[in-house]
Amino acid sequence: MRGVTKAIILIIVGLAMLIPFASTFPDGLEKVVESLGLEEPESIWRGLMPDYTFPFLENPYATKLISGLIGLFLTFSIAWSVGWAIARKHSFKK
Amino acid sequence: MHIPDGFLDPYLSVLMHIIALVSLTWAWKGVKKTLPHSFVPLMAVSSAFVFVGQMLNFPIVYGTSGHLVGGTFLAMLLGPHAAVISMTIVILIQAVFFADGGISTFGANIFNMAVIGGLSFYLVKLLSNVSSSQKRFSVSIFVASWLSVVLGALATAIQIGVSSMFASVGGVKVTVPAMLFWHVIIGVGEAVITASLTSQFLRIKPAMLNGLAMLRGIAYERRY
Repeated sequence: MRGVTKAIILIIVGLAMLIPFASTFPDGLEKVVESLGLEEPESIWRGLMPDYTFPFLENPYATKLISGLIGLFLTFSIAWSVGWAIARKHSFKK
Repeated sequence: MHIPDGFLDPYLSVLMHIIALVSLTWAWKGVKKTLPHSFVPLMAVSSAFVFVGQMLNFPIVYGTSGHLVGGTFLAMLLGPHAAVISMTIVILIQAVFFADGGISTFGANIFNMAVIGGLSFYLVKLLSNVSSSQKRFSVSIFVASWLSVVLGALATAIQIGVSSMFASVGGVKVTVPAMLFWHVIIGVGEAVITASLTSQFLRIKPAMLNGLAMLRGIAYERRY
């Protein structure tokens, strides 16, 4: 468990440090759509934190950090639960 | 390369969901057969890592950016089956909570990133030829992770190219070269990150690389 805590702390530190350097340019697919002169159709679902922004939080760093942390813990707990549900209950016979 | 809602024709959306479902069944069965509960923490941590990695775009050229997909990295840590499951969870959370990638295009996004990413395990296997040479292993990972991004982009390009939204601009003949142009470059970023992370693991904590152990045919109970 200590390894898990250490790894998560490392990931959080990495996130907090790298957010200011993250590029806001369009990614490959967005660029292709843009250069072909097409418009992204109206989305059927806007998500709770669209484009990694936390509602009502204006500061660009804070909003990305908070939404990122929420995403991180969501991913961690869902992956844990799903993994626990699929993996074998008992370890292999020694 | 997360495809948003509205890019794909409905029949294609349905088809991609079926393909994704078949792949997930294969992955589910594989995890059940090969991995015990003690493996779960590693799966949770590496999924969280990939979520964060995909948030942080790196700039390439001409005002375009790319980000780590992480398929090959997951495959080296978790093996191909758990890598597919793990990446699917990341894509699900991105779509539901962050509107990054659509809901109707969920199947396509699973195929392009989770399935191709997880299956890049077999690319590493093929390229390294189960050689025990560390250098050959690193080179294989570099090439396989680059290919996983390029092949994912090719699949994306074909899916959007045959859909009606892109018909007016020339369809596949336009989308394939355009997508490949950017992702051949973005793939280099993926390859550099994946190869350097895995060689660090190989140096400091080789026991974490379950995928590598599977590659060499070592069963879980005999790994430590």
